[in-house]
Amino acid sequence: MKLNEELWLVVVIAAVWAVLAAVYALVPSLGMPGYVRVWGGGAVLFLMLAGVLVAVGRKAPRG
Amino acid sequence: MSERHVTTRRGFIAALGFSAVSLYGAWAAYGAAPLPFGGRKDASPKADAHGSHDGHGTAEIPAETGGHGAAAGMAPEEFRFEHDFFVQKYAQKDGSVNPHADADAHGGDAHGGHGHADAGHGHGAEMASVEPVDVYLMAQKFAYSPDVLRLKAGVPYRFRMMADDITHGASIQLGAASRIIRLRPNVVTEQTITFTKPGEHLVYCTVYCGQAHDAMHGRIVVG
Amino acid sequence: MDSISTSVAPVGSRSRLTARVAALPGTDKALLTLLFGAALLALVLGLFGGFVTALARAGALTFFPDDAYRLLTLHGVSVFFYWLYLIQAALLLVLAAAENGRGLALRPLAWLGAALMLAGFGVSEWISATGTPLLYDGSPELAADDPRSVGVFALGYLLLSAGLTASALSGIATVLQPRLRGEASEFTSIGFALFAWAGFLVVSAIAATNAFLPGLLWALGTGPFPADHGTEWHILFHNLHYLPLMATVLVWYVLSEHLTGVTSIHGARLSKIVFAAYLVFVPPTSLYHMFLEPNLSESVRVVGSLLSLFVSVPTLAAFAIIASSLEASARARGATGFFGWMRGLPWRNPAMANMGWAVVNMMLGITFAFVLIQEKLAPMLSDTFFVPGYFHFFAVGVLTQTFLAALMVILPALGGGSLWRPELLRRMPAIVTIGLLIFGAAGITAGVMGVPRRAFDVSYGGMAPAAWPVLMALVGVGATVFAIALSVSVYGVVRTLLSLRPSLQQAPVVDWRTGSRGVGAAPAWTGPLSVAALVAAMYVFTIVAFQLIQSLPIIAIGGGHGH
Ligand code: HEM
Ligand SMILES: [Cu+2]
Repeated sequence: MKLNEELWLVVVIAAVWAVLAAVYALVPSLGMPGYVRVWGGGAVLFLMLAGVLVAVGRKAPRG
Repeated sequence: MSERHVTTRRGFIAALGFSAVSLYGAWAAYGAAPLPFGGRKDASPKADAHGSHDGHGTAEIPAETGGHGAAAGMAPEEFRFEHDFFVQKYAQKDGSVNPHADADAHGGDAHGGHGHADAGHGHGAEMASVEPVDVYLMAQKFAYSPDVLRLKAGVPYRFRMMADDITHGASIQLGAASRIIRLRPNVVTEQTITFTKPGEHLVYCTVYCGQAHDAMHGRIVVG
Repeated sequence: MDSISTSVAPVGSRSRLTARVAALPGTDKALLTLLFGAALLALVLGLFGGFVTALARAGALTFFPDDAYRLLTLHGVSVFFYWLYLIQAALLLVLAAAENGRGLALRPLAWLGAALMLAGFGVSEWISATGTPLLYDGSPELAADDPRSVGVFALGYLLLSAGLTASALSGIATVLQPRLRGEASEFTSIGFALFAWAGFLVVSAIAATNAFLPGLLWALGTGPFPADHGTEWHILFHNLHYLPLMATVLVWYVLSEHLTGVTSIHGARLSKIVFAAYLVFVPPTSLYHMFLEPNLSESVRVVGSLLSLFVSVPTLAAFAIIASSLEASARARGATGFFGWMRGLPWRNPAMANMGWAVVNMMLGITFAFVLIQEKLAPMLSDTFFVPGYFHFFAVGVLTQTFLAALMVILPALGGGSLWRPELLRRMPAIVTIGLLIFGAAGITAGVMGVPRRAFDVSYGGMAPAAWPVLMALVGVGATVFAIALSVSVYGVVRTLLSLRPSLQQAPVVDWRTGSRGVGAAPAWTGPLSVAALVAAMYVFTIVAFQLIQSLPIIAIGGGHGH
């Protein structure tokens, strides 16, 4: 499975969102737990989409 | 690829995407640059720099310890108490409220704690030496209390504002433009405001708050 | 004049897009027709609400307060939620199906999604028309004594979100099909954009659930009062700004190829990065909506201000890609003239006209958006008519016109009918833009002068400045102009949707695919100059606003109050 740009772009998105969610989670004085839920949820979703891309890459008949 | 003109190269196109970031320059010119570089930070009389970073600023807390206990700002109950006191104490015959009505007594009572020499304010430059006068403004469906305030030009006022029931706002009309403050229920918002000229200013509610929202307004008369 | 060797595509020939749409299976066509029809219905309801609202704000009509706010609710809910999301779901599905070449995957899920969204549409319209007016953000505070309105209103958006999620999942599965079949080993740039956009739609559905589920639970008596709605709404709201913008840029890509045959000269990878950039840049830039919140700490305000500068990066990059690709392709075919090459574009095609004017509106909209996102200027402008004054450049000029352009291309292929009176339709976008310019100029000025948004009687016991009603009357004039022109476009699209008779005459397109000279050898200054003009305009208006705010007879220190 080669790491093509689609995969790493999706992973970067998930990573940025995860960092954002983590900041809001770890700095409670920001006072916006909704950000944790939404961007955390988004990070999980995009990780899943990355997984789908990997799975599709494996399953697809080559050539 | 190599014989492409610079305007059709990839790097150029990607860089174009970032063009709007250059607006930082205009912000910096007005002392509104978010980063430490490029800004004449204190050149702007508006610099909201006042220590409201946490609580209203560590710089201010020492001067205030005698007044409000809570370092994080005023509690809503305390605000209500002080507001009622303010309105009662300075009420005028015409229904307006004038914090100078009782100028001599000011500072001797419940307001005493509010602060000897707010040296921590340092930013308003020429204002720094003048002690702000406390003013309370409560917003509720569908009016302000007090609804007419009589103030003086050139005097800094520490506006403490809060919505009593649901979210409201206050927009102070200043002729050519306005200044808007959003008021969340039970959150005390504080701004130090100096009117530089005499005049009458409409204050109206900026957040839709129900049927009579359009009628919700008050007045600040600067003499 | 330019001497472009434009080959006009032969009459009756179809582009790749329209050929693929025409070849979709019947059930998919039925579903898509249903969604396009529902989206147009939402637009029609919303335009009506908007027009009446504008007349009321101009002082030409008077309503009881509750009725006026019901109309405003109807406007916001219909256009900002149902028009923009039904059309996005429909476009996602049709473009994904065309990308796949064989119709939709997970078809039952797509139908379920449509059913849920339509149920949400019905629920939301009904409660907007009959309940306590909550405006489109549905703040529960406004109806603390009327849980039914709060609950039903929340239910409408929750149904819409659930339906969007189902549609998006079908869309994702659909764009993956060619790869599962082994026909492709990676996405096209459009395929990737659809994939990312669909993911973003699901995230926005999460944000909507986060904002509105508490209201529903409270109304059902199973949860606490949603006191934090304001903050949760901002998170959703920010997403809802950029999703349709991402969709717009994607449609520009698709339409550029359809209208000229040109695809990006910079390769698919750059386009994919730009589309991904929407998802990377949008979330961190959201703080500027909160600048007036009293409980936002100063440090967050500063960081938010800085990040907001990046919000236009993906849009401007995509604009630069499209503009340079078109210009370079035109020049490779011998087009000359600094801007003259643009004359070769198929302007007689109403889709081209709508898209072209949408770009102009985007430049106007971005200019003023960047004045508003300045943290120090926000206290002068937020909550005033400045906001609706400038954002209709986006809402109407950019988004609505772009999506209508897409419909003008897709509907004839989908239904086998023909585009209604293209010669008339192609003239509308310029008129819409003129109307928006009047509306925007008067509205922005009114806002700066303190006219509030969301208020109908702004006399304030006679204290209101005399200039206010004059400016708002001009707002009404501008609104009337663009409402009429836009209604003609919408009417034309509806007629196209209903038309059954194919026409011999396709709306014109050109074929700029193979230039004789090397693509990109000649300079392409249109993109960079437009962006330079944009930045210059931003500087001018930002400086004007700073000058104004500094001249006010007030010195205010301290914004909010951290806790
Ligand atoms: C005939 C076309 C339209 C007219 C005349 C119109 C007019 C208006 C006016 C006058 C307002 C301001 C109300 C106020 O704040 O007092 C408004 C608000 C708004 N419009 Fe439009 N509009 C039109 C089309 C659209 C479209 C197509 C969209 C979106 C796609 C849109 C989105 C909005 C939104 C989101 C608001 C804010 C609502 C609120 O503050 O609650 N409008 N419109
Ligand atoms: Cu109010």
